[in-house]
Amino acid sequence: MFDRVEAFYRPGTVREALRLLQNGKNRARVVAGGTDLVVEADRSIRFLIDITHAGLSYIRRRGKACVIGATTTMATLENSPAIRALAGGILARAAATCGSVQIRNMATLGGNLANGSPAADTATPLLALDAEVVLADARGRRKIPLTAFYSGLRKTAPGKALLIEVVIPALPRGGRWSFQKLGRTESDISLVNAAAGLQLDSKGRAKWARIALGAVAPTPIRAVNAEKLLVGRKVDESTLAEVCDQVAREVQPITDVRASAEYRREMCRVLVRRALEECAAGTGCSL
Amino acid sequence: MKAMEVRLNVNGEAKQWTIAPGDLLLDVLRREGYFGVKRGCEAGECGACTVLLDGKPINSCLMFAAQAEGADVLTIEGVAHGSTLHPLQEAFLDHGAVQCGFCTPAMILNAKALLDRKPHPSEEEVREALAGTYCRCTGFRKPVEAVLAAAGAKR
Ligand SMILES: Cc1cc2nc3c(=O)[nH]c(=O)nc-3n(C[C@H](O)[C@H](O)[C@H](O)COP(=O)(O)OP(=O)(O)OC[C@H]3O[C@@H](n4cnc5c(N)ncnc54)[C@H](O)[C@@H]3O)c2cc1C
Ligand code: FES
Ligand code: FES
Repeated sequence: MFDRVEAFYRPGTVREALRLLQNGKNRARVVAGGTDLVVEADRSIRFLIDITHAGLSYIRRRGKACVIGATTTMATLENSPAIRALAGGILARAAATCGSVQIRNMATLGGNLANGSPAADTATPLLALDAEVVLADARGRRKIPLTAFYSGLRKTAPGKALLIEVVIPALPRGGRWSFQKLGRTESDISLVNAAAGLQLDSKGRAKWARIALGAVAPTPIRAVNAEKLLVGRKVDESTLAEVCDQVAREVQPITDVRASAEYRREMCRVLVRRALEECAAGTGCSL
Repeated sequence: MKAMEVRLNVNGEAKQWTIAPGDLLLDVLRREGYFGVKRGCEAGECGACTVLLDGKPINSCLMFAAQAEGADVLTIEGVAHGSTLHPLQEAFLDHGAVQCGFCTPAMILNAKALLDRKPHPSEEEVREALAGTYCRCTGFRKPVEAVLAAAGAKR
């Protein structure tokens, strides 16, 4: 399958990885866990650059932000006390659903995002968390919002750049969180997934809200109009109904082997409702 | 295509093999005679190709052999001590958890990784550990019972 590959590199630094990526032109590809890349089996690849030894496996606090290196595995995320404690554990929860035990021991956070799948399970909670990503190329490093990272179906910013780390900024005080996934089994690819974040004021009205969804548009998305609708209102039955109607209008699901567009649209309502109910009740995410 | 060398430990023995840079670990292990590593879906779904890499279960069909440089690989061939079976192997036999046997190496390696980390797992944890390996014969009940029994026996 990869019989045309001419060389396999294991750079020990980001600088070396970037140099190799540059030299390899369009025929070099980064490999982290390999769980998407090997299945994709792109026969144009001539040079493989394994970045799992380039010092990008870490979870750190930087000021008020939480920073996660690109090659951190799903298994590490789901077991990390820091990630389990962050935002009710929505990211840990999402990582824990990314395939079997074996897959999660290999699959990395950076690979999940860089692969550009609209169903990437970690992208949805990261959108709700206002995450940013740090990219590096020959010219230097830049930090962009995760929303800007995705430009279309399976299109992400990297190109000749490396995804270095994911930055989760300080969270709103008293935030409540939820992650919901609907798949054929708990660890299968999502038919639909949703993440929500909610901050309530002293009168129980939404002061700040995030609603993100996966597998229902060309990229993971935030339902920004639904968020706007929610802010300033009590999270009661009529608000939930209106917000979920708005979510159903904002998504653009497709029909594929896993589910029809109609079913996905309906499930967006269901998952967002569950997520917001959990947030409102403060029973949010737990592992 | 250029050949390259990979050095690793397999079942406690140091190995140095000449591989192609695009070779997958599954293919190399089978080429070297480790036929307990099964070729199933080759897409990460069935788990039959599971080996332990530094003690953690991974799908060898999704990993390049070059990525195993310097690693400790355990295949089912390295689980028994000489002619003495591992308690998990005994338990699988005692509980009728082996039928055609195709999934058995992966089941036992996944179970071993779990018990090494957590000697007394709950049934839920055992199910989770075995969920990435498809068994078309036993219906999973017997393998789950076998793992719980082996965990009990080790107490
Ligand atoms: C059986 C199976 C089940 C799965 N289930 C799920 C699931 O439930 N949910 C889910 O979200 N995903 C699932 N996946 C998909 C996959 O496991 C994840 O997307 C995983 O996180 C990919 O990470 P990786 O490290 O394996 O990426 P790789 O395969 O190594 O890389 C993927 C792509 O990203 C590029 N890349 C990787 N890292 C970087 C980087 N740091 N900078 C720039 N480019 C980079 C690679 O060049 C490649 O194009 C599943 C896959 C399989 C095979
Ligand atoms: S052969 Fe590797 S998971 Fe099926
Ligand atoms: S015993 Fe036949 S596949 Fe499991």
